[in-house]
Amino acid sequence: METLGYLIDGFGVALAPHNLMFGLLGAFLGTLIGALPGLGPANGVAILIPLAFTLGLQPDTAMIMLTAVYAGAMYGGRISSILLNIPGDEPAMMTCLDGYPMAKKGKAAEALAISAVASFIGSLVATIGLILLAPLLADFALTFGPAEYFALFLLAFATLGGITGKNPMKTVVAAAIGLMIATVGIDSTGVQRYTFGVLELYEGVDFIIAIVGLFAISELLFFIENRAGGGGEKMAVNKLTISWKDIREILPSSFRGGVLGFVAGVLPGAGASLGSFIGYTLEKRVVGKKGYFGQGDPRGVAGPEAGNNGASSGALVPMLTLGVPGSGTTAVLLALLISLNITPGPLMFTQNADIVWGVIAALLIGNFLLLVLNIPLVGIFVKLLSVPPMYLLPIVTMIAFVGIYSISNTTFDLYFMVAFGVAGYVLRKLEIPLVPIILGLLLGPEMEKNLRHALDISDGDWSILWNSGLAIGLWVFAGIGLILPYIVGPILRRRMQSQLAQSGDTSND
Amino acid sequence: MTFNDRIFGVLMIVLAVAYGWGATQFPESFGGSEAVGPSTFPFLLAAVLVLSSLYMIVRPDPDNAWPWSRTGIELIVAVVVLVLYAMLLQPLGFIISTSLAVGILCWRMGAVPIKAVVTGVSAAVVVFLLFNFALDLSLPMGLLEFLEVG
Repeated sequence: METLGYLIDGFGVALAPHNLMFGLLGAFLGTLIGALPGLGPANGVAILIPLAFTLGLQPDTAMIMLTAVYAGAMYGGRISSILLNIPGDEPAMMTCLDGYPMAKKGKAAEALAISAVASFIGSLVATIGLILLAPLLADFALTFGPAEYFALFLLAFATLGGITGKNPMKTVVAAAIGLMIATVGIDSTGVQRYTFGVLELYEGVDFIIAIVGLFAISELLFFIENRAGGGGEKMAVNKLTISWKDIREILPSSFRGGVLGFVAGVLPGAGASLGSFIGYTLEKRVVGKKGYFGQGDPRGVAGPEAGNNGASSGALVPMLTLGVPGSGTTAVLLALLISLNITPGPLMFTQNADIVWGVIAALLIGNFLLLVLNIPLVGIFVKLLSVPPMYLLPIVTMIAFVGIYSISNTTFDLYFMVAFGVAGYVLRKLEIPLVPIILGLLLGPEMEKNLRHALDISDGDWSILWNSGLAIGLWVFAGIGLILPYIVGPILRRRMQSQLAQSGDTSND
Repeated sequence: MTFNDRIFGVLMIVLAVAYGWGATQFPESFGGSEAVGPSTFPFLLAAVLVLSSLYMIVRPDPDNAWPWSRTGIELIVAVVVLVLYAMLLQPLGFIISTSLAVGILCWRMGAVPIKAVVTGVSAAVVVFLLFNFALDLSLPMGLLEFLEVG
């Protein structure tokens, strides 16, 4: 019942007028960001972080706004999946399968409404799960010593690629690069490392500059390369005719999807993409022959949509309780916490209870706002979606410039951002994932600190790192996280591909 | 073709070795040697990067094509525009440099020149007004400084 009290306090924070206002703004911007193809949620949240700073927002307001952006982006991803058959972000891929056929049959408005309701239910189920699970996990995490934390960080890196990941070794390369960048600067004992006497490097590399450069600038370069500036076909949305019966029919699918998604989001290495995939396949199993999946079955829209939104709320559990994010977007949210001088992890639940519970309450409120925002305002989002990227991306790039410039008012940071952008482009070409680099940048200092503490305690005996049962367990899981993709990965990927290929055939008929 | 991963792997090994060597040059911290000095963690990282890069060299993935030809030039143009934008932001001021940068990028991405100019100028003016008046943050005026009110 303690939780309930905190939650009520949280509502007090989230319902304060200016918090509510920024939450609404965040939800709107988030939906927009999620809807635009290519501008994924991690990217969008990253661009908005400097904005939160320049606005001089309080920590709780900044966190609430960006959590709303995060939730909104998950809602928005479905719009371009349904209307254009292009997923706005990777987890929205499965929504294309039945969403696009529905739109082709002239039921675009229904598909959008159904998916909004499913997103709502998925998020709601998962947020309740978050409220129940997070305090328990935070309590448990208080028993972690430095050695366990060190192993936990390794686990986070090992499972970041996800079991559907292509080449786990590239995740390791990326993580090492990120951690190396994190060692630049003056370390905790006052020794300069890799600063080459450059004054700007004494305080280390600002991860916000790195994140915006790696994501936003490299995205611009990719758009230029693919000559995608013109944008896709125009789309139209019919008038909405939906009855309670239609909504009632998708409710069970949404609940199932939400629960599955939550579990996939909490578990390391699963993530939202897998959540929506399992959500879809489960629906196909449960409904069986009565369904017409792949040809515009509403349940095929509801299941994966609920799954992907459930997973995104679930992914907040490890981020908030352990300080270890399991996905790119939660990594970016972690970046915000760290730059607000809040140490993420179990202590946050006691030391910054107002922020944690404010954010959780904001998620609940944000969900209602998003549902209200998404059904009547879908027309506006569709209009904005048809602004071709050739106008949009330069403007987004400019906003990134303004944001970074306004942090420190120096051009040095801007050159740095462009350099990260070019590096991000090259790395993406080599299929080296960017998220482990960012996680390395974020977790590097903590990881080194825990290693030092552990070895100080043991007086230099390295075996302390695997001396407790818990630590061994974490090491074993990390090992599995690296090996499993080689065994299960190809099978899972083939299945996802064949699902997509099948529906591709039917929609081309 | 599997050149990309191999070349990158070799480069990363060079980086890792240089990084590890750099760590040997750190001055001894005060109070003598500790269990974990400033160079311990870097040594670990260098070892991990060498091993994982070796794997990339031994078992490389197939290459993605690089955009040589005209697209490559477009990319270089874009990067040059971004660098110039950063360089000229303070001397020229926000409005002029942003109009130029956004305008050129829109144009190079395929917009009609007139529309590109209109997008650039209006984006610059709107963002400038928003930041200067609504958010009370000063962006550099540069050449347009004479317009400044009070």
